[in-house]
Amino acid sequence: MSVTTDRVEELFGGEVKRQRLLVSPEGVPLHIVVAATGDRLIAVMIDMMIIFAVSLVLAFAGVLLFQSEHSIGYTLMAFFSFIVQNFYFIYFELAWQGRTPGKKHANLRVINRTGGELTPGAIVARNLTRQVEMFLPIGLWLSLAPGGSLATACLFGWVALIGSLPLWNRDGLRAGDLIGGTQVIAMPKRVLLSDLADRRWSGGRFLYGAEAQVPAYRFTPAQLSIYGAFELQVLEEFLRRPDSVTTERGLQEVYKRIRRKIGYDGDVPDADIRRWLTDFYTAEREELERNKLYGTLREDKTGAVRKP
Amino acid sequence: MTATPNERDGLALRSLLFRRGRERGWRRLEEILRKVDEYGSVNLTAAEAAELPLLYRSVMSSLSVARAIALDRHLLLYLENLALRAYLVVYGPRATVWERLAGFFQRGFPRAVREVRWHLLAATVALAAGIVAGYVLIGHDAAYYNPLMPSELAGDRGPDSSAESLREAIFQDYPGFTQTFIVFANSLFRHNATVALMAFGLGFMFGLPTVFLLLYNGMIVGAIVRVHVDKGLGVDFVGWLSIHGVTELLAVLLASAAGLAVAQGILFPGRLPRLEGLAVKGRMAAGVAAGAVLMLFVAGIIEGGFRQLIANTPGRYAFAALTGALWLAYFTLAGRRGNVSDD
Repeated sequence: MSVTTDRVEELFGGEVKRQRLLVSPEGVPLHIVVAATGDRLIAVMIDMMIIFAVSLVLAFAGVLLFQSEHSIGYTLMAFFSFIVQNFYFIYFELAWQGRTPGKKHANLRVINRTGGELTPGAIVARNLTRQVEMFLPIGLWLSLAPGGSLATACLFGWVALIGSLPLWNRDGLRAGDLIGGTQVIAMPKRVLLSDLADRRWSGGRFLYGAEAQVPAYRFTPAQLSIYGAFELQVLEEFLRRPDSVTTERGLQEVYKRIRRKIGYDGDVPDADIRRWLTDFYTAEREELERNKLYGTLREDKTGAVRKP
Repeated sequence: MTATPNERDGLALRSLLFRRGRERGWRRLEEILRKVDEYGSVNLTAAEAAELPLLYRSVMSSLSVARAIALDRHLLLYLENLALRAYLVVYGPRATVWERLAGFFQRGFPRAVREVRWHLLAATVALAAGIVAGYVLIGHDAAYYNPLMPSELAGDRGPDSSAESLREAIFQDYPGFTQTFIVFANSLFRHNATVALMAFGLGFMFGLPTVFLLLYNGMIVGAIVRVHVDKGLGVDFVGWLSIHGVTELLAVLLASAAGLAVAQGILFPGRLPRLEGLAVKGRMAAGVAAGAVLMLFVAGIIEGGFRQLIANTPGRYAFAALTGALWLAYFTLAGRRGNVSDD
């Protein structure tokens, strides 16, 4: 995608720092966003809660079913807890293509870091080390209580350091990700909204399609040659914001600035500001897209032209 | 009259025309992806499965075209997101979890084991060194036994136990199916599996803890063997140990070998960049470690049940030799044919 997109993202405080590039086998570059630590924490907490709840249910079932022989009930429960604890993540990441219930909830997904297929080996690798990264520190922490030896404290520090690895590298990789060659990315689903140029604000409602194609406000080529792609996409962001008093105020501010900058001198009633901006957006986009086709896309209002 | 482009009534926005022409395909792809999200990729109908790659190609081309002609930021972001989601499904695995597990046992596991054979040798040397050290240490001074031995493993066996009580422990009566096959087998399995997972996971710390774990567990074995040899029970005890020990020690050695392979990936990445080298080694090693955990499950059943069921020393040696031969055949012969990449 063009640099412009990143600048818009940056302007609105987006996740530019966590963006990475992945190239598909067809040679198309795709942007991915490294999962935020907070999201991963939420995902793992949901998963741990499920594991804990299942273990608890198993414990009750064991005690209820084998009242006379507690040892068997306990053993079965312990066995199934072990299975759940160790194979929960592996099973779901295999069956749900790199997602567990927690990850699904947090819109996260495990992918192969190099862009290839996510193999079972990679999934097993990244999850077998959980024993060392998650369960060992928890166990050691519980045994650290009063009277813990210095050796235990040192081991705890060392293991905690390994466990907190995701905080110390920019891709948020844990030890298991390093071993498995995987990475956790954030992947919210995007919904395709209607094209702004395909609708028009008129009489307090949106008109779509052919009805919307007649612009109420016209702009001269000179007026359209002031701004570039960056400003166009910022305007798009503003126009796509949900309707509210703040949005209205923002749009009014944007309207005043554009009007002054391009030297527009027609009459625009207050209620028609959104329509004026949409018409300007459509006209400007048409102008810039045509220039882009000829290889002279204006990046922004400073006039920088990017040659293909 | 020549109108400026934005004065024409018809459409002059190429990106909008383009979107109108392609949108139906994108929506269709979205629908299939939603289905995969909810029910998994194996539950697509044949027609949908055939449609998916075509739709994927077309959305990839849509994305490239959109990047070339469109300035509609929302459209670009949507297409990129859709392409990425489709990419992960199209290049994702198509088999069910069970098919992939079966493939792992038929090919992946024995192949991975053959790849770590030198690490396996190194792990064996470390364990053997531990056994010899433990054996010699207790022979030198039996007082080292108690600090060395974890109490839950030793039970009430030790240098002070009488020969009769040690013999009883080796040839005790069969306590019944549930006590052995379920209760005892289980606690052993969990203990050993945790040790194996640690041996693998600790490989990440340059393999040093893995080697220590091997040396220490070797010393425990050496010490307890020495205690029995001193009471004239050496042959009987090794028989008692070997019936499951063949499977169990092999599994622990395999998990450790996997840990050492990971350590090698970190310390000596070879021609690949360090992280890539680690990932290649790690995936292969994880297969070995996962297989080792399942071997320990087998070992737990043998140890909990069969050990006391076969209550004579020659029978135990025969059983141990049989299991050893089976594992050897499996690891050397299985999965020789077929594509390397399909595990």
